[in-house]
Amino acid sequence: MSHVLTFLFWLAIVLVLTFITLPLLVVVAASFSPTSAVTFVPWEWTFDWYGDLLADRWLQPFLLSVKIATLVAIISGVLGVLAAYAIVYERVPGSDALMAGLLSPLSVPQIVKGVAIVLFLSIIGLQGFLGTPALIAAHVVLALPFVTRMAATSLANFDGNLDRAAQSLGASKRQRLQHIVLPMIKPGVLSGVTLAFIISFNNIPLSVFLVRPGDTTLPITVINYLEYSLDPVMAAVNVASMAFILTVIFLFEKIGGFSAQLHGGSK
Amino acid sequence: MNNIDIELVSVSKSFAGIPVVKDLNLKIPQGEFVSILGPSGCGKTTTLNMIAGFNTPSAGDIRVRGKSQNRVPPERRNLGLVFQNYALFPHMTVAENVGFGLRMRGTSRSDIAVAVDAALRSVRLDGLAARYPKALSGGQQQRVALARAIAPRPSVLLLDEPLSNLDLKLREAMRIELKEIQEQLGMTFVYVTHDQEEAMAMSDRIVVMWQGVIAQQGEPVSIYRNPATRFVADFIGRSNILPVKARNGGPGFLDLLVDGTPIVLRSSHTGRSTSVASCCIRPESIALMTDPAIQAGLQNRLDGVIKRIVNLGAQLELLVEISGGLNLTVLVRSGLSGRVPELASTVTLGIDPQEVLVLSD
Repeated sequence: MSHVLTFLFWLAIVLVLTFITLPLLVVVAASFSPTSAVTFVPWEWTFDWYGDLLADRWLQPFLLSVKIATLVAIISGVLGVLAAYAIVYERVPGSDALMAGLLSPLSVPQIVKGVAIVLFLSIIGLQGFLGTPALIAAHVVLALPFVTRMAATSLANFDGNLDRAAQSLGASKRQRLQHIVLPMIKPGVLSGVTLAFIISFNNIPLSVFLVRPGDTTLPITVINYLEYSLDPVMAAVNVASMAFILTVIFLFEKIGGFSAQLHGGSK
Repeated sequence: MNNIDIELVSVSKSFAGIPVVKDLNLKIPQGEFVSILGPSGCGKTTTLNMIAGFNTPSAGDIRVRGKSQNRVPPERRNLGLVFQNYALFPHMTVAENVGFGLRMRGTSRSDIAVAVDAALRSVRLDGLAARYPKALSGGQQQRVALARAIAPRPSVLLLDEPLSNLDLKLREAMRIELKEIQEQLGMTFVYVTHDQEEAMAMSDRIVVMWQGVIAQQGEPVSIYRNPATRFVADFIGRSNILPVKARNGGPGFLDLLVDGTPIVLRSSHTGRSTSVASCCIRPESIALMTDPAIQAGLQNRLDGVIKRIVNLGAQLELLVEISGGLNLTVLVRSGLSGRVPELASTVTLGIDPQEVLVLSD
């Protein structure tokens, strides 16, 4: 009986993993397709499609996306930590309301947000702001709830006795922030920042309203391209950006982000 | 020699209108090991936090070496602090933890290294400097916390139940070690605990707190020998507390209040208080009158029946019911005269009048 259960358990795991990874594997396979149709023939493959990625057509959007995502990660990281510090650590008056306000963008569909931002910028006469500045601002609004929440959780789990111990050892408030509080919440903040980067890098529904023609982010370029053609370049683009995101996650994990947070320890 | 290190003058503290510490007056001389002892909620931790500066007194003044501390923030008080949960910085090595206080003061690298070495040696942890706290046992972590607190050479070390997370064996060993370290450093220790044995074992002086006030303070022996109130007698050590009334017949006699006729008790302590309500007799100062000739000095004699015997190893704990349904706990050595008391047997108990302590309520 228990053998049957064990078998079913592992079968379920394998099925779930297959379900998740198979489409990815198909995309990876398709990116090596020897013909311009999206196919996969194991004994005939080519790197040609990846060569195409170095053309400006793909390179420019990729660099723009990286630039925006990096700025979004930095800005939302700084703002998120400051907000969490005020709300959880200092418990400023109305901190609960403040937190609710910061999390509220989560409850509005991204498409609605996109339309709202475009309308808002037009009404106040800042159409010139559309494009990269608007994208950065919008992505920060989108990512801030996650960063703030993660920083706040780290701060809430922070043992106040550590702060008191440092204080009794003569550490001023600035010194305590620098040497105790920030290092302790670093894993949470780094995972928040990684998330902000990914959210910005992959975003479509919000960005689609804010990009300028000819100056589009990578996902929007992909969408535009898909409207007219479907060929293995698409697959190559997706594989490349997947690899890029995984590299980013790996790098942040190396400096003490995700996995430390997931496994609940610092070092 | 006995300069006052810490002085609390009419210190009170309320939280949300509820008084936790009431009009506390306390002087702690330099170099003394003082324990603030009491049950949870008695205000002892609040008192410690006020000395450390984390709580501001609602009224009164806290002075360190004569200087009022009310406007001095905790980081400027130069007091060491040891926490129950150690509160080691998990992202720093042992050496970085211990050196933290000096580093914050801008001490030079080489001086810090020397001080860290000395502090770690005094808690016998040399050789573990490069480890992270996670890789240490509870006892080692507590030593690191201690080393960290003493490394900047504070004038006073405050300890908040530092041993209560350790197991019994280690706790007992650490008591002796803590006392030795304190004597070596000549530092004033203020030690908060609810464990009366711990306080008895280490302290030069014990301050017993109850419901926000000092119930009694003094040397451990004198508190044990002469508890001032019923609470202290009950909290410190084990005791039989019996309802009594001062006898009209004169000093030296008490009436033990029981259902039937009052039992007369002789006590050497009746002169001390006018409103006697109870007396305390320690279980170990009651003797079994197995050999009346030897125990001639025990002027109080009570007959009773053994209701229960608990073998504690070195001692036997007897529960003896005397007339009127009063129960007395008696501790006797296990090997006493080779005769083991029997359950339900009748015994005579002998008590020296010196041992009948009078309590006010």
